[in-house]
Amino acid sequence: MIESALAGLVLILQWKALAFMLLGILLGFWVGLLPGLGGVTTLALMLPFIYAMKPHEAMAFLLGMHSVVATTGDITSVLFGIPGESTTAAIILDGHSMAKKGQAGRALGAALSSSLLGALVGALALALAIPVVRPLVLAFGSPELFMLAIVGLAFIASLSGQGARGMVRGFIAGGLGLLLATVGQDPQAGVARFTFGTLYLWQGLDIVAVLVGIFAVPEILDLVVRGSSIAGDAPVGQVRKGVLEGVKDTFHHFGLAIRCSLIGTFIGITPGLGGPVAQWMAYGHAVQSARTPEERKGFGRGDVRGVIGPGAASNSKEGGSLIPTIAFGVPGSASMAVILGGFFLMGLVPGPDMLTKNLPITYSMVWTIVLANIITVIACLIFLNRLASLTNVPGTLLVPVILVLIFIGAYTANNQYGDLIVMLVCGAIGWLMVVAGWPRAPFVLGLVLGKIAENYLYISVARYHASWLTRPIVLALFAIAVVVICYPIWQARRTRRSEHA
Amino acid sequence: MHNKASLALGILVMIVSASGLISAWGWPAKAALFPLVICVPLFFLAAAEVLWALFGAEAASASDFKLSEHLPQSVALRRTGIAAAWILGFFFGILLLGFLVAVPVFVLAYLKIQGGRGWVFSAVFTAVVWAFFYGLFDLLLHLPFPAGVLLSWTGLR
Amino acid sequence: MRIRFALATALALLALVGCNRQTQAPYFEGKTITIVVGYKPGGGYDATARLLSRYLPKYIPGTPTVIVQNMPGANSLIAANYVYAQAKPDGLTLGTFNRNLPIGQLLKVEGVKFDMLKFAWIGSAASETTVLAIRNDLPYKTFADMKNAKDPIVVGATGPGANTYDFPLLLKEFLGVNLKLVSGYSSSADIMLAVERKEADARAGSYTSIAPFIQRGLVHPVIRSRASEPEIANLPTDESLAPNPRAKAMMALRSSPEVVGRPYVMPPGTPDNLVQILRDAFTKAIADKDLVAEAKKADMSLNYVTADEAVAVMKEVLNQPADIVEEFRKYVKFGE
Repeated sequence: MIESALAGLVLILQWKALAFMLLGILLGFWVGLLPGLGGVTTLALMLPFIYAMKPHEAMAFLLGMHSVVATTGDITSVLFGIPGESTTAAIILDGHSMAKKGQAGRALGAALSSSLLGALVGALALALAIPVVRPLVLAFGSPELFMLAIVGLAFIASLSGQGARGMVRGFIAGGLGLLLATVGQDPQAGVARFTFGTLYLWQGLDIVAVLVGIFAVPEILDLVVRGSSIAGDAPVGQVRKGVLEGVKDTFHHFGLAIRCSLIGTFIGITPGLGGPVAQWMAYGHAVQSARTPEERKGFGRGDVRGVIGPGAASNSKEGGSLIPTIAFGVPGSASMAVILGGFFLMGLVPGPDMLTKNLPITYSMVWTIVLANIITVIACLIFLNRLASLTNVPGTLLVPVILVLIFIGAYTANNQYGDLIVMLVCGAIGWLMVVAGWPRAPFVLGLVLGKIAENYLYISVARYHASWLTRPIVLALFAIAVVVICYPIWQARRTRRSEHA
Repeated sequence: MHNKASLALGILVMIVSASGLISAWGWPAKAALFPLVICVPLFFLAAAEVLWALFGAEAASASDFKLSEHLPQSVALRRTGIAAAWILGFFFGILLLGFLVAVPVFVLAYLKIQGGRGWVFSAVFTAVVWAFFYGLFDLLLHLPFPAGVLLSWTGLR
Repeated sequence: MRIRFALATALALLALVGCNRQTQAPYFEGKTITIVVGYKPGGGYDATARLLSRYLPKYIPGTPTVIVQNMPGANSLIAANYVYAQAKPDGLTLGTFNRNLPIGQLLKVEGVKFDMLKFAWIGSAASETTVLAIRNDLPYKTFADMKNAKDPIVVGATGPGANTYDFPLLLKEFLGVNLKLVSGYSSSADIMLAVERKEADARAGSYTSIAPFIQRGLVHPVIRSRASEPEIANLPTDESLAPNPRAKAMMALRSSPEVVGRPYVMPPGTPDNLVQILRDAFTKAIADKDLVAEAKKADMSLNYVTADEAVAVMKEVLNQPADIVEEFRKYVKFGE
């Protein structure tokens, strides 16, 4: 194994492969930063260019581009409150709040360092898991995936507000998300559910349009209302100074960062859960790390842990999702599907071969992820001051540019005007939710997990009738779900008891 | 304010879940199961929230950020209305004129009217934004942007 | 003398005019042709379109740029409607979409706003064939073995309308084989993983998508639909095992669109000369040896099906008698 790892490193360090990787990084940097450009579409556009390259060069290019997108997407989310990619929305809640308080530098520092940590953990997991990856993935059948979705949904409890009424609101938001997930043609009977007779809704709601609407639109409305820059009245110097402090924060909360990286890697490994899930579960876990209800209230207002968690998870997920793609040919996400196309173009056949005969190429991919992320973080740190200063730009200049970008972003996802309408409607709902004090995170969780939960439940029941309920991993996951739900309740009771003492 | 918005949302969710329930009733069992299982508790939870909003005390707000609070409510609402009007205006501009025309028109209008900027600055800024948008999305990436209803009607595109 | 001079001048002028016509710029020069794909990037239709977009310019006079535009939604109904009604018939738009659209039109699915027969057909870039493949470690080696199976064989599927679902459904209904259809997997790759996990025993799908797994030794095909590839020519076809003409008609109807596996059309009303240019370009591009090599690397195999053949298939599907259509409707819904 060590020889293959070293062989993989040698492959990457050839100047041609490095050059392609740098080119990919440059592209990915801008793709992640601009909300109008989707990572998946750009990857597809790049596929024709890799015909002339050798396999490891092509992978360096594609993966170099892909690894960077999650990191720079975080930057857009933190600075402007716009999800740069669908996988970087969770970081908005706390990251952008920090930017509004003039702490953009600190938020970016935390986001970048946790992203790097996450990427390294994901790459390490990929490298170490190679011997055990096949049995690991094969052990996760539809019943396990269903239970995993339930665990994800259980985080709704942590992401809800305080007290009984807070819980109710959280579950309403979650339920609404679950309901909206059923829009579209169902895979059991083929019924077109809730499509109102339009063709546009057949495939369901587009997650990008929903996320951009529910997060970016209220932000923009608020920006206009305040009439100032994003950072408000915070002094200019303060915005830039915080970067180092943000990096220190990541190390201060090292345990949390590592745990969220592991969550992200794990979600990435299990195919079928999809990209957006990892960040929200990591965010839920970060919220749980608050020790008192007072601390919990701070989440969503600018707690740096709300930046570290999702930042780590969205990058570690990338390394994780390479595993099913390489080992089984099952893409873990939409971008992996395109990269898989690249595999075939290169004559690489995913499967056991990649883990034995072509092991050096697999390791070269691991090294690409590591190197690409390190280079990106260094590049970002150089430009970070400039980027953070954008939060001092007057709102009246930013608003039109941001609006242009989000309209383009929502439209070009599917070339449908319907996406713009969905974005506006979700914008209105998002604004109402913020004013009413309803949490939006449970809504997103419900939306991304709804289809998965429903489909895998049906498959499990059809295939195993009731025996799947007693499978060991299923039971373990169920226990975790129960703990996740009860944790906030138990924590509240404990604080009340210590207050009375 | 918070309570009123919560009440409005609660009623909205009640309506949505009720109509979901009614739609799903006629579907085959497998297609209807999940929507029904979701809509029934959703309806009652939303009803609980509505009752709370009407008769209960102000709730603690959620783990989500708040909109700026330092302005008086009427001013904030008025400005929100203006912002919403701009956004909707941009949307209809895109429908009628197509992205390529609506983008510079909107940016220019916003800078002048809302931003109160001078003509020179606004024109230059608009030109830069438009060049960037056109160069990147149209020329380089060939992403398609349809012409806009008005222009197709008058046969200009 | 003057007459000869005049004649010479006239001839010279004629020659000049003749030359001029030949050196007139070709229609497509400096233009961009857009291929509208009814699916998101990364899928088979998209990959085929992108491959073609790189080789077509060579064979179109004027060497235009050819780009791909994705317009996913409603199983490519949206893209088809767009190419039918909204795209201009100026030769600059091509459309490629779901091969099952004629079935959608036949079943009068709501939202179908096109008539497959009125498109300006270029042809098909490939024909597909559906096979049912079962895991190698199962005791059934041929389809005949499967028919005698006592325990149900679990077939994973994505949903009604996809060939992963429809093909085994018809096999179960008409050939009486003990299949248990488990639907809801998010993609055909997921089904393959389930097969590897032994959660599912078999999977139906297009031969090209299953081929890598056959080569890997995971599954082997047992039965196929009417179109054929050299490697699977010896397999029984579903139609040949049909017990009665009605069953055979059902299976035939399901399979017919597969010959036109990657349909390419232009908007109705496109001038005939432009359509012909594209047809020639397709024929030559698909025969181009570099394209063939690249396609092989990517596990794609393209073969050009002419426009006339494609239209004949469309007519065959759309002219089915009403009672066959009603019966078909009971089993097969429009989908992927």
